[in-house]
Amino acid sequence: MSAIKKKRISKKTKSAWRKTDIKDVEEFLEDQRQEERVGSFAEKKDDELFMVDATPLKHKPAILTEKQKRKLNAKKPLRSLEALNNTSKVQDPIVKRNRVRQKKSGRIIEEEVRNPTKPRHFQANKDRERYYETLEKKLKKEDQLTKTAKDVWAEEDFRDKIPGLKDEKGWISKELALHVTKNVGKPVIKVHDSIRHRTTKAKKFAAPPPGLSYNPSLDDHQALLKEVVEREEKIIKEENHLKRVTTQMFSKVTPEERDTRRLQEMRSGLDDESEGEANDATEDGEYRTINPPVENKKKSKQSRRKELQQKELQKKQAEKKALKKQIADLNRIKSIKTEVIAEEEALKILKKHRKKVELKKKFETKRLGRLKYVDPDIDVNMPEDIAGNLRNVKPESSLLVDRFKNFQKRNILPVSVATGKQKSKKVKRFPRSTHKDPGVSFQMLREQRKVGQTY
Amino acid sequence: MRRLKKYQSGEAAQYITRRAALRKLQLSLNDFRRLCIIKGVYPREPKHRRRAQKGSSEIKILYHAKDIRFLLHEPIVWTLRDYKIFAKKTGKDRAVKDFRNLKRRLALFPELRIDHIVKERYPTFVDAIKDLDDCLTLLFLFSTFPSLRLIPREQSFLCRRLTIEFLHYIISSKSIRNVFISIKGFYFQADIKGQKVTWIMPHHYPFKPHSKAEVDFKVMSIFVEFYTIMLGFVNYRLYHSAGYTYPPKFRSEIHNDSQDNYKDELSYVSDRIATLNSDLICTENELEDEIENIDLDLLEQGQSSNRIMKLKKEAKELTNLRSLFKGLKFYVNREVPREPIVILIRSFGGKVSWDCTAFVGATYNESDETITHQIVDRPILSKKYISRDYIQPQWVFDCVNKRTLLPTNSYFLGVLLPPHLSPFVDSNRDSYIPPEENESQNESDCNQKKYVEGNTGFSASAKEIIDSHAMDDDQLQKAYIEERADFEEYDRIENEEEQNDDNIPEEQKEKLRHEETLSMSVQAGKVHKENKKIRRKNEIDEHRLQARMVKSRHRTLFRKLVREKQVKEKEKWLLKKKRRNIEAQKMSN
Repeated sequence: MSAIKKKRISKKTKSAWRKTDIKDVEEFLEDQRQEERVGSFAEKKDDELFMVDATPLKHKPAILTEKQKRKLNAKKPLRSLEALNNTSKVQDPIVKRNRVRQKKSGRIIEEEVRNPTKPRHFQANKDRERYYETLEKKLKKEDQLTKTAKDVWAEEDFRDKIPGLKDEKGWISKELALHVTKNVGKPVIKVHDSIRHRTTKAKKFAAPPPGLSYNPSLDDHQALLKEVVEREEKIIKEENHLKRVTTQMFSKVTPEERDTRRLQEMRSGLDDESEGEANDATEDGEYRTINPPVENKKKSKQSRRKELQQKELQKKQAEKKALKKQIADLNRIKSIKTEVIAEEEALKILKKHRKKVELKKKFETKRLGRLKYVDPDIDVNMPEDIAGNLRNVKPESSLLVDRFKNFQKRNILPVSVATGKQKSKKVKRFPRSTHKDPGVSFQMLREQRKVGQTY
Repeated sequence: MRRLKKYQSGEAAQYITRRAALRKLQLSLNDFRRLCIIKGVYPREPKHRRRAQKGSSEIKILYHAKDIRFLLHEPIVWTLRDYKIFAKKTGKDRAVKDFRNLKRRLALFPELRIDHIVKERYPTFVDAIKDLDDCLTLLFLFSTFPSLRLIPREQSFLCRRLTIEFLHYIISSKSIRNVFISIKGFYFQADIKGQKVTWIMPHHYPFKPHSKAEVDFKVMSIFVEFYTIMLGFVNYRLYHSAGYTYPPKFRSEIHNDSQDNYKDELSYVSDRIATLNSDLICTENELEDEIENIDLDLLEQGQSSNRIMKLKKEAKELTNLRSLFKGLKFYVNREVPREPIVILIRSFGGKVSWDCTAFVGATYNESDETITHQIVDRPILSKKYISRDYIQPQWVFDCVNKRTLLPTNSYFLGVLLPPHLSPFVDSNRDSYIPPEENESQNESDCNQKKYVEGNTGFSASAKEIIDSHAMDDDQLQKAYIEERADFEEYDRIENEEEQNDDNIPEEQKEKLRHEETLSMSVQAGKVHKENKKIRRKNEIDEHRLQARMVKSRHRTLFRKLVREKQVKEKEKWLLKKKRRNIEAQKMSN
């Protein structure tokens, strides 16, 4: 199939014969003549015919790694864009076509640096220089040792930093200097006093209770234990109270009864409906309410007059009573006095109490967030844990938690439940295709159909 | 003028919710938290929450609007915003695998400069020292942490270096005042520039994994970030004021912060303690001791009122404390936690060493005969030397708290230890002190006297100081001082006489002596009797004078103080009476 078939041509005429290809015959004859002149291969020795080639002419193509292959491939134009290449041999009929010329990728920076022509080149060069300076400085990596090796608390004037503001003659007032610094872009910002306002009067460092010692005296340890017990009892009491007020308020029911009740409740309307319908059916579709209709009753003139009279009479009686009481009070001035004094005293006590509460509040932790601060448990070693020597100390409590709670107590951090909760990223999970069960694809169906046709 | 609407003035305008603050500062919540912690801006509780929250009554986190406006000026806000840009750019580089650019970008990581904030938050050096408690406790804690996810490794290295530097200053300045071994850790209280600084050094192996619900590591790490810078500056200033070179030169191994040194936790700890055993390099000669002596003299010149007496007593105690372990040689056994003990012994002039095979930095061997004390924390020891005391570690702590060398017999090897009392409970408090406690104090005084008498190495001056301790009564003290003054005068006169005597021939001398003996006589002594009435009158006069001297704006404070004193005295009297009654009942029974 691949070989080209020779065209059969008729050899009827002389001219047709002339056209026949005799090249192969002539070639063969020529070969024979050549052999006669030079000699055949068979006669010659191997040495004359062959030579040993010691050095390879061409280097073997190196085996490329995957990475190199990828890099080479990356240099090639994209396969997807191959269709855009013009493969036609036909020349463009329009000689002077307006083609979109591709820009050169990026500027030639070397050229710009070597002989800058435009002002922006000069600017760019200057910027670049500055950039590399900072880069070099940063790459040197400032040591932490030298970072803090200076005296921050040394007295310094803001006027020293900006040249021209420092004057010995006192011509530039402080206000003017402040104004200048603001407009130069290095404003001096005053720290307002309220930022350092202490929000709680509680001490920063609370001395540890003596019972916290690794080898405490009996009294101290007992005192601490007592405190712990008291606090625990308070918590238990609170819990019991809540339990009594909430869970114990509800009547208890066995599960069977609950189920039956539920069933009843759910089907409560079902049975009545049929009855209701029956009732409705008996009467006409007339609208009726449960309450009787309201009638507008008019008061008679006589009754109105009598009412007014009654009211006046009552008023008069009340006045009389008040007068009588006043006269009676004259006789009991002494007891009134005591009453007033008692009232005043009660008020005073209330005032005192309020003041006390207010003062107490000053030492307490403020409510900063949604949750209230709760004091952490007191750390204490149980009597059996106290070893009495330093080797067997049982360290209680974590210092980190202790500090964290302390910050919360001192209103530095708001309390939150989800302390340090990390948001987990939402990941959509699915099995890899290699682990999938072989599903049914369209191709498989088609193949099956084909197989069915053949049989 | 525009008419103000509801919630545009008053409390509603004073406060701003966190959400609004975030929007105003254009920062993410994490960045805002960081900014607030570094700048020391904390949320507030309003007086009237509903008004402050513009009518809404749910509890929101509120800030002062003024604080937020103040934050707006902060240059580090820009750095925090740069972080966002940085993250975007490096993220892109990483995705495209442009590692050349990525490397360049990482080198240009925007650094958070918070030096100026330290100055701003603590305008004076003393302010910074006042706030050192939290800083030290956190840094000591973090210096023992392994590298964790939210805590960068460099941070814990930095904490280690800074704490060692600080401890070195504490040792060389001898400023530790109180120590307390608690189940939480070792409490240390030092006196730096007149401020009491307390910190907790954790027991060894303090790291426990925490649940996220307990502690926010990220937040604590931010606190530590600020505190490292602060302690760096404080250290520099402390070193310079004391005349030491900063950064200090230690053993070569610890000083270079190469990562290899921190591979092994145990070797790191021993290295750290070893550095504590070396002296700092001084640039100037120390002048401090002289200054303190002058102070004492000044005090002696003034009249001996109650307060000055107290001050003097304290000063004497201090001088005693500063040379507490001078001339003593300690050897620390393997099982004893060395770090706190080395700090204490070194800071009060003692010499210390340990097992040279187990840990580095030992200066002498166990077989050294000059060792005076060996600190042991085990019930029995096979090989013992006669020349030294075998004591348990609590002795060192109790000595520092009592400011004297306690008798070692109750701290011997295997002996049941006396209770370790907290030094933070003031024994000189004005309120009622039960006789049991008083007794124990007196007892210790007596003991130390005995101890001193037994120990001939002590100088006479030390004896005097200790003697003066025993005299709690200021009356007695007064008398003592007068006596001493007389004695000195007499001494001086005698000296002068002696000088004169040298010129006079011996015959005349004898004559004079004879005359003196003739004129000598003994007079009957009189018991010094004080008129109680006059004393009381004087006291009242003095009080009146004081009351008159008080400025009008301090009058309420003065009154309060007086009242407090009265209440305390009354309480004391009541308790005493109660006790007397109870004892009387017991006696009758």
